[in-house]
Formats: sequence, structure tokens, C-alpha cells
Amino acid sequence: MRTITILRQTIMLAVPFINDILNYDSLSIVGLQKNTGKTECLKYVLARLPLERKSVAVTSIGIDGETTDQVTRTQKPEIVLREGMYFGTSEAHYRQRRLVSELIDVSDENTSLGRVVTARALTQGKILLSGPSSTLGLKRWMRDTRRHNIDLAIIDGALSRLSLASPAVSQSMILATGAAYSINMSQLVQRTAFVVDLINIGVTSERNLALLAPLESGMWWIDTDGVLHEMEAVTSLAQQVEFHGMDRCSTIYLAGALVDSFLEKVRKNKQLRQVELVVRDFTKIFVTPQQLRLFEKVGGRIRVLQKSKLIAVTVNPTSPSGYVLDSEALCDKLTQAINLPVYDLLKN
Amino acid sequence: MQLKNVIESPCGLRFMLDGLDLQSGFARRWLLDTEMMTSEIEIVDSYDVLRKFVDFVRSIEPSFLNTLLFKLQGVKDIRTTVKNLRQQSTLDDIELFEVKHLAILSTEVVKLLKEHNIDKAIKIPMLDEVITILDPDGMKIATFYIYDSYCEQLKDLRIQMRKNPSQQDELLIEAAEIEDGVRRDLTQKLHSHVDDIERALIALAKIDISVAKARQMVEQELCFPSISNDGSSCYTALFHPQVKDALIRAGKKFQPVNISFAYWPTLITGANMGGKTVVLKTLTLCQYLFQFGFGIPASEASIAIKDEIMFCIGDEQSIERGLSSFAAEMKNIDAVIKASRENRRILALIDEPARTTNPTEGTALVQALLKVLSTKHMSLVMTTHYDIEPGTAHCLRVKGFDNGSMNYSLVEVAGGEVPQEALNVAQSLGIDPEWIGLARSELEMTK
Repeated sequence: MRTITILRQTIMLAVPFINDILNYDSLSIVGLQKNTGKTECLKYVLARLPLERKSVAVTSIGIDGETTDQVTRTQKPEIVLREGMYFGTSEAHYRQRRLVSELIDVSDENTSLGRVVTARALTQGKILLSGPSSTLGLKRWMRDTRRHNIDLAIIDGALSRLSLASPAVSQSMILATGAAYSINMSQLVQRTAFVVDLINIGVTSERNLALLAPLESGMWWIDTDGVLHEMEAVTSLAQQVEFHGMDRCSTIYLAGALVDSFLEKVRKNKQLRQVELVVRDFTKIFVTPQQLRLFEKVGGRIRVLQKSKLIAVTVNPTSPSGYVLDSEALCDKLTQAINLPVYDLLKN
Repeated sequence: MQLKNVIESPCGLRFMLDGLDLQSGFARRWLLDTEMMTSEIEIVDSYDVLRKFVDFVRSIEPSFLNTLLFKLQGVKDIRTTVKNLRQQSTLDDIELFEVKHLAILSTEVVKLLKEHNIDKAIKIPMLDEVITILDPDGMKIATFYIYDSYCEQLKDLRIQMRKNPSQQDELLIEAAEIEDGVRRDLTQKLHSHVDDIERALIALAKIDISVAKARQMVEQELCFPSISNDGSSCYTALFHPQVKDALIRAGKKFQPVNISFAYWPTLITGANMGGKTVVLKTLTLCQYLFQFGFGIPASEASIAIKDEIMFCIGDEQSIERGLSSFAAEMKNIDAVIKASRENRRILALIDEPARTTNPTEGTALVQALLKVLSTKHMSLVMTTHYDIEPGTAHCLRVKGFDNGSMNYSLVEVAGGEVPQEALNVAQSLGIDPEWIGLARSELEMTK
């Protein structure tokens, strides 16, 4: 009887969340920190997706910085796949699979663990996921999944400067946060809300999009007549950035990272007030809330070329050191701060 | 000499290769690894194949071409797998998948090519038996695993797995042993087909390359050359595709030129900005294109086969070797002279030798170079601004300023008369009139 009650609660909780995912053809699940419950969230989603309605493929963005996982090779959590699910992983991890599966593609995408292969699970079972390690590779993998008539691609993502692949290429996103990110509840809520703000930054105009999307590198600006110019400085990190002859600038585009010092320089330049600063996606933004607020105060705004729809935020109230936050209070506060559903998946 | 060794030649070969719409990375690697052809039979054969593909490309619907290109995109470099198979080391699932994928893909490509009767131009071995080995259920789709139908016992284990997920790990271990046996067995069976598998892989790359070359020929209006047997080369309406492309972008037109040269020196003189260097670049490019079996950027071409192509453009400083531009140039020309003493067919193209030194010694060096190379049985095309005695050299001059604009065509002249048009050219560039005016009076005084 008790099991049934729990089951019902789970279903009630799960249905809106899972149904939202079904509206998109790609989903990334990203954790703000290790141990924020990203893997739990992925497991939760994978266990509940209605496979009879949608064919699903799952992969993980390989992180070059996470050497411990690659040396020990078993540290990374194994994901349980259901029969019929597709998955993308490296050759090395494919050989260690604990299920029967059928190979459907071997890509040219090389990772430190070999090429990325795509297969379909013929029985349920466990698999280590390690997919493409670059944004381009991830995009290609997603495109290939569509070629194999897969409806939904799920990316086990990472929000880390070490990750070369951006999870923002997916249409939708779930963010995992928790005590591992901060054990001070109000700080945790504040910091999470800031990331949510960044994820929700709007997409630039169609006209800018057409001009800027093909630019893979460098710094560019668009004048009030809509003409594109390249800026002279080498990187946005350079202190020597000068804004010569940019009095008619309406938009600045950075193909690389946006950092505090650049934002400050733009803000302090009178001719650049009310400028629109464009970056590829929110993962390229490394600024403090304070600098962002000051920038917006003088009339500036940030826009992106690519945006994911944030579906939900999940929390793990337990920190790796064992400290536990009050789950209910945390969910409430966070919901208020970000105006989005927040779930503690472990509790249910 | 492989294509990859000369791709960075300043003649513009990379532009031609970058313009090739190859579908697979393997085809690109294969192309870069091809050896320069120096035998007539090889070159004739390669153009015969290319001719068939040009006819094919011209005759097919765009949608059919797209289907073929899409198939060719699927070709993977599985040479390591082929090597493992040759050595009979047991293939794993990924390698078996690769072999099956190739076999099915090559069958599909053969089928497409057959529709247009071009399947014989580059023959792909039939891999039906390979497919049968790796597709025991006759599904005809390019996916792979160790199928249940390979072994009754394996099938039973998998049924149990689905029934009792809790025992899956033990059952998987049991199944793994059986699967290994199946893989060994499959490797044995496939081993007798290894040559055909390799041939099919290479044929697919060659088809990709031929389709790309054919499309480039049509798009850039390149021609099929004939092979000259008397050592002379002759081009009509020759153009440099990269320069032409840049001019079109700037809203201008490329003026094609006619030129021929034999196995004695040809000397080109003419005004600055008269296109002399472009002619040398184009001749170098054409010789490479010819011996790597590409279309030639001219309306007609008859080309002699060479064993070695030496292009000395002169202004290459070699910082790594610590050589000045003069020293680097001297070394390059020295290599030409050394090569000319060997019994090989050589085409040397030398752009304004000794241009960076004083005119007195420069003239002496060029005059002597011409004398040295005149006695050798080689093709030499050289440009110069120096006033030298041509001897037996065939002399061409850029027509030059003609009604206020540059006429790039080459005209035959009797001697090595050097046109004095530098000041006119400078003036047309809008260079400071005080400077140019003073230069004119200097000239008057020396006359």
C-alpha cells in the first residue's frame, strides 16, 4: 500500500517534467558542480521517458580535464539503459558495456578514449557514457542521431571551463544544483539564480544572428548601419583592448569568453553605452553578478546566439561532506527566486 | 613525389585542392598520398576514367548526384581494421561493424553507378559474401552485433537475460565467451575476402576523387590535355583559377594567354605588373595538375611529361635556414643546375633570378645561367628585367601598356629587348609625381 502511494507521488511529480522534455528534440542535463545530482537526474529521466512514443539517444560530453575518471575508468557513474535506447559513447567504454547492443554508427569523432560510437540497447543494462569532446563533435553527433530517426537526444552535460563542448547546443536544459555548490542556503539560491538568469538571456536579433553565427573566432562589432567590422585586439582577455573608431557601434560580438575586465572596459567607455554585447551561448559568460548589474545599469545588455529552454532545476540538498540542507525550504526559496519548478529527485 | 609534398607550392595547388568537393576524409588522405604520375600509360588511363566521370556528372540529375555524394560521405578509413584482418587478429564488434558497413555501402554505390553504366570505370569488387557472413538474418542494414542466429546457446542466454535482469551480469560473462568464439569464427571467414575488402575501400575513395575532379572540371571550365611526345608544351587561353577567382570577386576579368615552350630556354620579359609571375605560377600549376590527373585551366593544352618540376619564385626568404632572399634563391637555382646534369626530364620555372642584387652582377649571373642551362636538354621558362643576350632562347614579351590599359598577352620577339615601362606603370599607380618626374629627368640625362 505504501509503495503505491510513493509511486503515485512520483508519477504526479514526474509527469509535467517528463512531458516538457518531450516537446524538444534535444535535452542537456547540466550540473553546477560535481555531486549536485546530475547523474541522479539523468537516471530519473531515462527511467521515465515513454520509449513507445519517442526514440531516445543519450551521450555524455567528454571532459578532458577529468583525468581521474579516465585513468581509473570506472569512477564515472554507470548509467542504466532500457531496452531500445540508443547511446553514444567512446570505443573504450563500448567495450566495457554490460548489456547486449547493436552498433549503428562509428563516427570520425576522436576522443581520448577512442572514437565515438552509437549503438542501440537490445537488453537493459549498464554503460559508461563518454561522448564527443567538442561542441562541433556534439553537434555532429546530434545531427547523426536525427539521421537514424532518433526523436530525442539527451546530453549528460557539464558546466565547466574545462569542458570544450557546450551543452547550450541542445534545445532544452535541466540544471542540477545543490549543497555541493554551496552549503549556505541563501548563497546557494543566489548563485543558482544567477546561472538561471544567464541561461535565460535572450537571443539576439535575426539580423545579428545571420551576421555573427558563422564567426568562429575573434572579436567583432556591428555599426548602426548593420555593417560588420573586426576588432583589432587578439582576445577579449587582453587588457590592451581599445575601441578606436567605434563611436557608431551598436553591437559587439565575442566568439570567445566574456570576462569581468572586458565588461568593465565597455561600461567605462562612454561611446559604448547601450551597446549590445553578444556571445555564442551562456557558457561563454564568466562575469560576476555585480559587474553584470553595473553594465546593465548604464544601458548595456547581453544577448546570445544560441539559447536552451530551461525546463526545470533539480536540487541535491546533501553536500559531499555530509552536510544536509532542508530540502523543502531550499525548493521553496529557489522556486521563488527563479520562477521555475524545482525538484529534489532523491527525496522522491 | 606525393601530392602532399607539393601542395604548398606557391603555384596555387592548394587552391585547386581546397576547391575539390571530396566527401570523405579518407578520400582526401588517399588523394594527398598519391604519387605524381610520370608514365604516359598511367596519365592516359587516369584521364580516360576522368572523361567518363565528366560525362556522368554532366548527364545526371542533381538529386541523383546528391544521393551518390551522401553515400560517399559514409566511407571511413578502415585500413587499420583491414590490416588486422589480414593478420587474422580477431576483429571486435566495432571492426566487424566497419567491414559490414563498407560492404553494404560499396554494394549500394555499385548499384547507383550501374544505373548510369559507369560501374566499370572504377571497379568495386562485389562483397556479397562478406555481407552474408555479417548479416545472418538478411536484414540488409548496416548495423552490427553478435547476432542470436550465430549460436543457439547465445540466443538462449539472451532470452534468460531478458527474463532475469538480476542475473544479467553472470549471464553476460557466460555470453562473452561464446561471443568471442563467434568473432574468431567470423574473422576466419572474412579473411579470405580481405583483398576484395581493401580494393572496395580504395575504389570508393577513387570514385569520390573522380567525381570531385569531374565536377571541378565542369564548374571551372577546365580542359582535358593531350600528351605531347616531342617534349614541348602548348597552352591556349591559359588562366590561373585562383587569380581569375580573385579578379571576378573584384568585378574584373582575367585575360587568358597563349604560351608554348619546348626543351630549350624560353625567356619572358615585360613590364612590371604584366603578369609574368602569374604565367610562371600557372605553368607550374598546370604541370602538377597534369601529372596528378586533374583538369587543366586552359581551353586547349598539349603537355609534355616531366620527371621533376622546379619552381623558383625568388622572393622566398628562408628564416629557419638563416638564408637571405638572395642566398635562398641561389641555392634553389643551384639545385636546378645540378638536376639538369642528370638524365631526367626537367621543367624549371625561374622568376626574375638575381633580382635582389646589383644590376651589373645580376645581369652577369642571369646571362651566365641562361648559357649554362641552354646546353642542357631541359625545359626552362625564365622571366627577367635584365638586358641580356638571349642566344638560342625563345623570347616572349608581355605586350604591355596598350591604350592606357595593360595587355597581358605574350608576343614573340626576336631579341631580349627589355621594355622600359616601369615609370609608366608607376605613374598609372598614382605614385608621387615629384619622384617619378625626377626619375624621368635622370633617365633623360643618361641617354
